[in-house]
Amino acid sequence: MSDTHLHPLEIALLRWLVQHPGCNDAECIAGTGLDEGSYRRAAQWLLARGYARIAGSRTAVRVIPGPVGEENLRLGTTPELALLERVLQGASTLQEVQEDPRFQKGRWGSALGAATKEGVIQGGALDLRVGDGTGGVFRELWEQVYEPLGRDDRVMLEDLPARIADLVSARAPKRGRSGAEFLLEERTENTLAVTPEGERALASVGDVNALGALTREILASGEWRNAVFRGYRVDIPPARIPTGRLHPYGAFLDEVREKFVSMGFREMTGPLAESECWDNDALFMPQFHAARDIHDAYFLEEGARVDPPEPALVERVAEVHRHGGDTGGRGWGYDFSVPRTMQAVLRSQGTALSARTLASGPDIPGKYFGIAKCFRYDQVDATHLPDFFQVEGIVLGEEINFRHLLGLLKLFAQEIAGAESYRCVPAYFPFTEPSVELHVKHSVLGWFEMGGAGLFREEVTLPLGVRVPVIAWGLGLDRMALLAMGLSDIRDLVTPDLARLRQMAVKPDWLPGRKA
Amino acid sequence: MPKIEASLSDLLSLAGLSDPSRLRELLEPLKGELDGIEGDTVKIELNDTNRPDLWTVEGVARGIRCRLRGAEKHLARMEDRGRELLVRPGLEGVRPFISCFVCRDLSLDDRGLAALVNAQEKLCATLGRGRRAAAAGIYRLSDISFPVCYRPADPETVFHPLGAEREMTLADTLRSTETGLLYAGILEGAPVFPFLEDARGKPLSFPPVLNSEGTGRVTPGDRDLFCEVTGTDRHTVALMAAIFACALEDRGAVIERVTVRYPDGEAVPCPTVFADTLTVPLERITRTIGLDLRACDLPELLSGMDYSSVTVDDRTVTAVMPPYRRDGIHPADLVEDIAIAYGFNRIDPLLPGDYTLGSPSPESRLGAAVKLLLVGAGCEEILRPVLTSPGKVSLQTLTPDPPVLISNPMTAEYSAVSNTVLPSLLEVESVSGHAAFPHRLFTLGEVLRRDRGRLRTLWSLGLIASGAGMDFGAVHSLLGVLAYGRGLELTLESVDDPRFIPGRSASVFLGGKRAGIVGELHPLVLEAWGIPVPVSAFEVDLEPIGG
Repeated sequence: MSDTHLHPLEIALLRWLVQHPGCNDAECIAGTGLDEGSYRRAAQWLLARGYARIAGSRTAVRVIPGPVGEENLRLGTTPELALLERVLQGASTLQEVQEDPRFQKGRWGSALGAATKEGVIQGGALDLRVGDGTGGVFRELWEQVYEPLGRDDRVMLEDLPARIADLVSARAPKRGRSGAEFLLEERTENTLAVTPEGERALASVGDVNALGALTREILASGEWRNAVFRGYRVDIPPARIPTGRLHPYGAFLDEVREKFVSMGFREMTGPLAESECWDNDALFMPQFHAARDIHDAYFLEEGARVDPPEPALVERVAEVHRHGGDTGGRGWGYDFSVPRTMQAVLRSQGTALSARTLASGPDIPGKYFGIAKCFRYDQVDATHLPDFFQVEGIVLGEEINFRHLLGLLKLFAQEIAGAESYRCVPAYFPFTEPSVELHVKHSVLGWFEMGGAGLFREEVTLPLGVRVPVIAWGLGLDRMALLAMGLSDIRDLVTPDLARLRQMAVKPDWLPGRKA
Repeated sequence: MPKIEASLSDLLSLAGLSDPSRLRELLEPLKGELDGIEGDTVKIELNDTNRPDLWTVEGVARGIRCRLRGAEKHLARMEDRGRELLVRPGLEGVRPFISCFVCRDLSLDDRGLAALVNAQEKLCATLGRGRRAAAAGIYRLSDISFPVCYRPADPETVFHPLGAEREMTLADTLRSTETGLLYAGILEGAPVFPFLEDARGKPLSFPPVLNSEGTGRVTPGDRDLFCEVTGTDRHTVALMAAIFACALEDRGAVIERVTVRYPDGEAVPCPTVFADTLTVPLERITRTIGLDLRACDLPELLSGMDYSSVTVDDRTVTAVMPPYRRDGIHPADLVEDIAIAYGFNRIDPLLPGDYTLGSPSPESRLGAAVKLLLVGAGCEEILRPVLTSPGKVSLQTLTPDPPVLISNPMTAEYSAVSNTVLPSLLEVESVSGHAAFPHRLFTLGEVLRRDRGRLRTLWSLGLIASGAGMDFGAVHSLLGVLAYGRGLELTLESVDDPRFIPGRSASVFLGGKRAGIVGELHPLVLEAWGIPVPVSAFEVDLEPIGG
């Protein structure tokens, strides 16, 4: 039977393989003249059909120019060879050489280090002399690596002499690709062999004049009426096409936003630069509180001004700090500084949004949430970002009490985390009483602290003009975002590496839905 | 949050527990978390920053004991043997306050002494704000003749600091001992130094820095001690002394009074026995917790929180806090203790019954519409931090306006707040040369700008395009996608901007409002970022896209 399924690429590769047994990937690409992508597709198809098999394979490392290597290629030389050239021309100090603008000073300096180590240059920075005038290993590097790379030829690490290969490896850092001279790409090189089925299929090619792509002309001429269509392979992976995409973390936050809106919450917004009044004072955080000192919050430059809160409000806030105001309490009892309320800080807690909302005549009953960018004085590491999102909010109402707070936390545990079980334990926040911490048991993450909540103290609500009980809550969703995105390092949420970003799945619907 | 490390066996024996199996659960009402147990070391995190009494192993053990067996009496029968401490004039602006007491019949083993030193260090560092507000010292009682004298001393006064090889002046103590260097800042600029000596002029210590070698060396086996707390804040000094006295009492010691006489004639019996009283209407408890607890035995309930004196009448409950606590500053604080004593897990959760309408903010709604248009045009969204460096904004991107700086940055890399989102996008491009082209990257982020002398937070939309064909025309077309998608008129006006190639940049107007800028980035900018390909870009404010 004749095989009408073979794609022209498959035919080309089969023909080559039959005539040149024992060729590896690289040789096939060179021999068939196919580009690498076409070759790989054709090989994959043949393997899938059983027309070819892998007769042998080895792992090979391909050398690719990094940003620094690209620059060397453009300049047609490396700093080491250029240095030798300048010394041969009579330059005797590093400073003289560094006037040559082709390379930055630092690169000339490190070139001198490398060239001295290899004996190409002797003396020192102040007394440059020629050692091995041929350029030694650097000349070989140019001829065996840079020149082929310049011609877009494949350079395999294994094919290079040991000392050149070592030099290339040393100059291909695993981290910090932006400063790399070379990048190493590990890939498996296969040797394909044609199977008897493949040979039979090839033999039958050409028997039938099968149609490939259907064209407007074929339709117009009616040629299709007497033709046979070459069938397509439908069980192969699709080619990837570039598309527009939302950021996976942004999409996650959008889903969180949708959840809260669906639960009847209105979104609050507020400024990144806050006065101390909104960030702390209005929340009854005493001015001597440790979270307010310069090792815990970011203060803005001298002269930076934010919109000042209304003086009457500041006075009421000051009064509750000093003596408790008309709240029935005695306050913190210290010398409250009014000027300090105007100090500009970067918002350190999303609760600042809640304070603003309370002061602006909120709906009663009302529910509010905010996804607030916050800033903490932390070293950036796998669990800390310089700025991060906090999900915060309030619920106000005449009849609101502690049981509603527990009910809300249960709702969040189930709706946001899909928790198997949860616990509410006593906690402390300067602005709430009673205060609660929400611990949830997640199917993958296990027990973790999902957030804090409480009833706002009257020292917070009364100065802001609110006379009903207010539940305040805040949730940390970063661990769930990481899980949704399949990540373990929080810095990856905001990675600058586009290739990595493109590999992350966008799955905001990962958040649990309401069970019917 | 304060964390303490203690001997597990010490904690268990003080708490009256035979094993640690219930520790986690028993710590919960104290707002404490068990961080771990390793050998005989137990680590506990205490979340209440207002309960310094819990930052000692004695305090934690006491909390557990009361939970299991009810309230205890503290500092209830202190004898006064007529001992006095005289404060001399001259310390007013330096370190005016002192509290002290005598502690007898203490049996301290190594473990107990270690706990005492730990408690002292922890409380001086936290409650005492690094010894400035308050710092404590302990001495062998047998070496001391009363009345003890707390007086200003000339910096050239000579004494023998604990642990030093020789005598030296107070000034030298600050300059040449390790502890002195650590705490010298507290006394910076002080004309005289605080000094404590006994009736015969024998030095006790140089507060808050070092004890003297003679009387200030306490060793296991010392049964009788003199303890003092000095500081700049009267309340903190008194509270720290009360916390120590209670802790020592818990270890079996008998506390005896000392009267402090201030220069103005005021005589203060020390340690101060605080008895903060909170009264709350029963109706208020019901309203806050959502349960009618009138049927509960409130005195019994509060006994587990170490309230020894609780009275309930028809309408109110009144409770006296134990002497080591001063955090009851509002009736709500008593309500919380009642809720904790009752047990959060015994309270049925209830959903708020009020109907409310939810909605995203206008910025979120507009942002979502804008993102949809750009994603449809093949653009990829980027999210980056808001914090940046002036170098990235000004030197590398050549942005005309400088960003707002942080006055206390932790690292130079994050020492400014972005006023433009283009540097973040260019940073992505600079490390993404290996990602397949074309790159059409956008970000919608908050930025901080100066506006008529005030800081203003705005949403800014930035886009960069690189790769084949991604020139001025390409980003102009993407602006068009936004304008036509939102039904806005798009006009450009040629403008010079150092970020862009002269003649290839323009101010963007959307619906007649100035919105931002568009252009082909100048090679100087590309070079500064190490970007090897041409890049075109625009940045516009979100607000005018709303129309």
